[in-house]
Amino acid sequence: MSETENMIVLEAVEKIYPGSTSPAVERLDMTIPRGEIVMLIGPSGCGKTTTLKMMNRLIEPTSGRIILDGDDVTDVNGDQLRRKIGYVIQQGGLFPHYSIADNIGVVPKMLGWDKNRIKERADELLHLVGLEPSTYRDRYPRQLSGGQQQRVGVARALAADPPVMLMDEPFGAIDPITRDRLQDEFLEIQRTVGKTICFVTHDLQEAVKLGDRIAVFGTGGRLAQYDDPDTVLTHPADDFVSDFVGGGAAVRRLSLLELSRLELHPIETEEKAVGNRNGTPVAEVDGSGRPVAWRHLPDRDAAGTTLVTVPLSGTVYDAVDVMLDGSASLVAVVDEEGLPKGVLHWNDLVAGLKTRERGA
Amino acid sequence: MNVFQYFGENSAQIIALTIQHAQFVFYCVAIGSIISVALGLIVSTGEPNPNRFSFDWWATGIREGSLLITAAVLTIPSLALFVLFLPITGLGVTTAIIVLTIYTLYTVLRNTVAGLTAVDRSILESARGLGYGRVRRLLTIQLPLAWPVILNGIRVTTLISISIAVVASIVQGPGLGKLLLTGITRIGAANAFPQVLIGTVMCLVVAAVFEIVFAIVQRLTIPRGIRV
Repeated sequence: MSETENMIVLEAVEKIYPGSTSPAVERLDMTIPRGEIVMLIGPSGCGKTTTLKMMNRLIEPTSGRIILDGDDVTDVNGDQLRRKIGYVIQQGGLFPHYSIADNIGVVPKMLGWDKNRIKERADELLHLVGLEPSTYRDRYPRQLSGGQQQRVGVARALAADPPVMLMDEPFGAIDPITRDRLQDEFLEIQRTVGKTICFVTHDLQEAVKLGDRIAVFGTGGRLAQYDDPDTVLTHPADDFVSDFVGGGAAVRRLSLLELSRLELHPIETEEKAVGNRNGTPVAEVDGSGRPVAWRHLPDRDAAGTTLVTVPLSGTVYDAVDVMLDGSASLVAVVDEEGLPKGVLHWNDLVAGLKTRERGA
Repeated sequence: MNVFQYFGENSAQIIALTIQHAQFVFYCVAIGSIISVALGLIVSTGEPNPNRFSFDWWATGIREGSLLITAAVLTIPSLALFVLFLPITGLGVTTAIIVLTIYTLYTVLRNTVAGLTAVDRSILESARGLGYGRVRRLLTIQLPLAWPVILNGIRVTTLISISIAVVASIVQGPGLGKLLLTGITRIGAANAFPQVLIGTVMCLVVAAVFEIVFAIVQRLTIPRGIRV
C-alpha cells in the first residue's frame, strides 16, 4: 500500500434503501486524513451509522466510490476487505463461546497466522487495553463487566493491526463513569497506535472530547458540517448545526469545551516577574510549586483577589463555576500535580467563546 | 405365572428386543436429526430482503413450508401412518424406519430454526464486521451458540420416538412393540399382563439410558463459555 495522506475518501457516496425514495445518505464527499479520529454525529436516522457501515461495505453504497489508502475498494470482496479494517460495536459483540484470547484472535486466525503468534498478539493487546493477560485470557465474555468486554472489543479490532478502525457507538451502553474512563484510555491507546478512526456517537460531549474532526449529519443523510470541534462549536455552519450543538444555550457549550483544548494566558511564578508589570499574572507558590495566592495582577489589586484553581482536565464550565464561587475574575488552570499551567480570564468567555455570526 | 417368572424364563428374548428397540430409535433419530439440522442450517442463513427477490426468499418459504408439513405429520396417529406406508414399502423394517424418522423431524427442525435465529444480532453483526462470510459465520458462530437448543430438540424427539416405535410392530417393525402388542391383543390370557408390564418397563429403561447418554453428550459438546 502506498503512503497517502488521506486514509479514507468517500466520493459522491449515496445510499438509497430499496423501497425508499429519499436517500439515507445523500451524495457524500468526505475525506478522512491518516491518523485522525473523525466523529460522526447527528440525530437518529441521519445516516451516520449507514455512512460508517459503507466504509467497510457492511452496507453497499447505491452509487459513488470508496477509496481506502489510495485503493478503490468499492468492488473488492467485502469479507476480505473487512478483515483489514477494525470494527467495534456497542457492548463489543464478543463471541460468548470463545475465550477472551480466542475472541481477540479471530481475525489473525482467518488471516492464517500461526498459533503462537496469535497467542502473543492477544497477550500484547490485553496489556494495551489494561487487562492482565494471565487473569483474563482464558475467561469467557460473560465473566467480564460491560466495560471490560468493550476493552476486549477494541483489542479484537486491533488484532491484525489494521490501519483503519470503525467504531459504532462503542461506549453507548456503558455507565457514565466507566465511559469517561474508557474514553481517556481510548485516547491513550490512540496515542500509541495512531490509527485512522471513524467513530459514530450521539453524544456531543464525546465527539468534542475524542474527535480531531466532527462530521455533523443532518436529517436525510446530509453532511451539514465537517470541521474540527472548536469550529463546529463556535462557527456552526447553519441553523441545523447551531441547533444541534445547542446554539441557543451558549452556557451548555461551556461544559463541552475542555480547558486542555483552549489557548490559555501565561502565568508566572518567579519573584522577579513582579517588577516587570508585563501583563502576566504572577502567583505565589507553596513548597511543591502549587499556586496559593496572587502576587501580582496587571490590572487590579492582587491582594484583594482570591486565587482559585481548576484542573486542566476540567471544562470551561468548571472554570466558570469556581470563578463564581470564589468571586474571582480569573482562574489558575493547574495540571494533575497542581502545578500552574495558565490563566483563564472572565473576559475570555465573552470575547472568545461567544456565538459569532457565520463567516464572522 | 407372575411377572418375575416370565422375565426369568424369557430374559434373553426380552433383552434382545430392548436392545433392538434402542437401536431402532437411535437410527431413526440420527437420520431425522441429520436431515433436520442440515435443512435448518440451509434455510436459516438470513432474513429475506423485502424488496429484492433472492435465495433468502426460497429459504424462508422452504423453512415455513417444512415446519408446517412436519407439524401436520405429527398430528397423524402413528398407527395410521405406519399402515398408510404399507402399500408403498411393505411389511418390515424399511417402513418402520421411514415412518419413525418422519416423526422425529418436527421437533429438531423447530429447535434448529429457533436456536439459529435466536442468536444475538449484535454477535452476528460483529462477526460480519470482522470479515466472516456467510457459511463461516453459520458454522462457527451460529451453530455452536444454537447447539444447546438443537440438542434439547433431539432429546425430546428421542423420548417421543421411544413410545411411537412400539407401534411399528404392527408393520412387523423391530423392538419392544412385538412384546407389548402380543400382550395387548391377548389380554386376559396367560402371560398377557406380564408381557405388557415388562414391555412398558423396558421402554422406561431405554428412555433412562438415552437420558444418561444425552447428559454426557451435553457436557462434552456445549462450549464452556455458554454452559449454564
